[in-house]
Amino acid sequence: MILSRRFFILGGTSLSLLGHPIWNARAATQKKKNLVIIMLRGGMDGLTAVPVKDRLLNSLRPNILVNKTIDLDGNFSLHPRLKTFASLWKTGQATVVHGSNIPYTKRSHFEGQNQMETGATTPYTEATGWLGRGIDTAELNGLAISLQMPLLLRGKITADNYFPTTLGLPSSKIFEKVTSSFVEGTPLHEAMMSINARPREMLRANWKDREPLKLAKTAAEQLKANDGPRIAVFDLDGFDTHSAQGGTDGEHGEKLSKYDGIVKVLKDNLGKTFDDTLIVTLTEFGRKVEENGGYGTEHGYGTAILMAGGLVKKSQVYTDWPGLSKKALFEGQDLNATIDARAIYCSAMAACFDVDFNYMRKHAFWNEQLPDLTEKLFKT
Amino acid sequence: MSANLIKKNYFRKIAFGLGPNTDVPSDPVAWAQAQVNSVPKLAWDGPLFSEKFLLDKRAEYRFGEDEIRERYKNDRQALKQAEKKLRYTTGEQYFESLELNIRHHAARNSGAPVFERLWWFWSNHFAILDKSSLPSFNTGAFQREIIRENLCGNFTNLLKSATISFAMIKNLDNSDSVGPNSKNGQWRKKKGKPVSVNENHARELLELHSVGPAAGYSQKDVIELSYIMAGWECPWTKKRHDANQVKFNQNKHEPGEHKVFGKAYKQKGVTPKNKLIDVINDLAEHSSCSNFITHKLCRHFICDHPTEEMMKPILKAWNESGGDLPTIHKALLEVTYEYTGMFDKFQNPEVWLMQMATMADLNWPLSSVDMIYDFSTKPKKHMNRVKWDLKEIGLSPYRPTQPNGWSDLSADWISPELLLRRIVFAKKFSSNGSTWNGSGHGPQNWSPVHMLQSNFDNLDRVLDYLSLDKDRWQQDPKAKELHPYNVIQTLFPSNWMVSA
Repeated sequence: MILSRRFFILGGTSLSLLGHPIWNARAATQKKKNLVIIMLRGGMDGLTAVPVKDRLLNSLRPNILVNKTIDLDGNFSLHPRLKTFASLWKTGQATVVHGSNIPYTKRSHFEGQNQMETGATTPYTEATGWLGRGIDTAELNGLAISLQMPLLLRGKITADNYFPTTLGLPSSKIFEKVTSSFVEGTPLHEAMMSINARPREMLRANWKDREPLKLAKTAAEQLKANDGPRIAVFDLDGFDTHSAQGGTDGEHGEKLSKYDGIVKVLKDNLGKTFDDTLIVTLTEFGRKVEENGGYGTEHGYGTAILMAGGLVKKSQVYTDWPGLSKKALFEGQDLNATIDARAIYCSAMAACFDVDFNYMRKHAFWNEQLPDLTEKLFKT
Repeated sequence: MSANLIKKNYFRKIAFGLGPNTDVPSDPVAWAQAQVNSVPKLAWDGPLFSEKFLLDKRAEYRFGEDEIRERYKNDRQALKQAEKKLRYTTGEQYFESLELNIRHHAARNSGAPVFERLWWFWSNHFAILDKSSLPSFNTGAFQREIIRENLCGNFTNLLKSATISFAMIKNLDNSDSVGPNSKNGQWRKKKGKPVSVNENHARELLELHSVGPAAGYSQKDVIELSYIMAGWECPWTKKRHDANQVKFNQNKHEPGEHKVFGKAYKQKGVTPKNKLIDVINDLAEHSSCSNFITHKLCRHFICDHPTEEMMKPILKAWNESGGDLPTIHKALLEVTYEYTGMFDKFQNPEVWLMQMATMADLNWPLSSVDMIYDFSTKPKKHMNRVKWDLKEIGLSPYRPTQPNGWSDLSADWISPELLLRRIVFAKKFSSNGSTWNGSGHGPQNWSPVHMLQSNFDNLDRVLDYLSLDKDRWQQDPKAKELHPYNVIQTLFPSNWMVSA
């Protein structure tokens, strides 16, 4: 059964999988590659995840400095709780893009999260997400697994969705009966047909099955299958650390380790498929450089993007480093963004979906002037 | 009117269907219209808190967070414990559930279900986003005290009250606006601080709340309106944070004249407060406003794509009454009856759930006794029942994630998973298994006969669907096909119920 291979689960931390087994002729000739997006909601602090060696950082953050960091390239180091990421760095499968963000500078979670998903330059102007448009562009059919379709995944193609309920199911007779009430060919009837095509045991889940790491394992199993989905989206929150952000053992490190845990489960369960997979983070903004009175940080602008998987070109910190001097900071307070994060996402989609960068840029990002970073960042 | 000629789908189109204690009214339009003249009582004798009290609770929560963050900045575990405690003592984990329960209680028991549907509509029109603890403290009260209380007066008053309410000013960040030439703006410039107006509220006042995008305003209109709005804020104080009643702060207001749609707005008295009020008066009377909102009303109640023909009588009522809401609502109710049967509307999950609760006489929502809270421990599991179930079914009324609220288009509600939820909820509600108060959701002493007779236009086909003989079904009330368990599970998620 085709649908069983596209099966997918979502939970307290949510996860969505997309990708039809029978894609278009263009993609069908290509090897199956997977794209995993991990959304980090609340504003992930690039300077906590990947601190720069700069005395200015030490003086602006005396109480929340991260100690025992893992050196990356002499200039940057890694938060010690990003253990899996660190080991992937050693095998050439981890990349950091630093001093980057989506084009949003106003420090509202809500607007920022809307823009990180739509890819637009103003909030609330688009009804589709950049990944949804990318999927349209690559002519992939999709299955989203969430109760409401995540904005990031919305596109022209009406995606199937899945989000198992924890409530009991009625008998299959009821399903048949209810289906018979809808007029064939209508969206309602089609939706019922999608439900009926799923094996019963996949229609519901236990609360346990909704735990993030369990979801990651399920995702890995699905992504590994040749006729399985090729797109998965995770949703992690809690990065909004206004207080007790801390250094090594603080709240931000705790959240980063959750991200790292997902990468580990994916890596462990994808096997060889990990070589054909790209795992990319997405957040609404970084955090202010200077710490606040509560040992935390306020909303900022520039941040870092973490990328892992066999599809990254090599282990590198890719940056046009803006610096931390007062003048270099955005509005005198935030790390600046010198790389439009959308260039990364557009390049990642071009690389993973085997679509020309400019073609992708035109259709997924309204032909906006984004540099092609495919060659620099990914194996093509 | 003979009972056979009455269009019964109407009762689902403009209300929640008819319950077991309501007979089919002989004049459905008159029945519906009689419900919109005055604001009905909420019919809730449980805990009920004022908007002002809830603002105090918000203050307590916000300031409390500061205090414990400072106190436990080096102790993550202790901080977590203190945060939990604060959530209980301030009711942060309680009020949303309480408000949802009051909302659903009114829908069942106020005696004016048509009014309640309109209340849900207008609350969604002035949507308050799922952000900065608004759903936890303020949205429910905003809908009760600002929206509901203004539904039997003039639209202009409703628009004014909603615009300068705490929830809306906070929702659309108008407190962030500082006029560049205001006193505060000048001082900020001297200090090298950024000065700007936040266009958010001005844009949504035009685009979502009044004239709509078709009115043809420009970005310049938006900015000018932001200048006019600058100064309307929920002031920030150390002990309460933003949890303060809305005030007009002249020090942040952009002085001078500003033009919206080509008309200049000037200060009239000692303060420039009148400028925003004058703009709102004009926006409410703008022809695009009645058009935009009439279209929205028709889209919500009649069909996804309203025709000009169906809008005409409502527009006429709007314009002739000068925006009198009961007059407008009555015209809508009449038009909707006319089009019942010609156009179906897919019902959103919350409306559908309430229709099921009403028509099958379900044990829903919780009773007032179930919602009594001690403000010191974690709220009892059952208290969150309504909130959780609404979330599981896909519509959390106080948590829209877009400023335009929950969608009125069927495409946004038709997906495999959302339909599946209706199937499992129908099963859950058909059962008399134990629930929070041990009596089950399922109907008590309920017979589907009255429900079927009073709520469906195509009764023969519905009976056919339920495998009941149309000539004999009433003679055999014990037939297994008529068992409540079977009727609820089979009929409610079906095509006969999801649209009306």
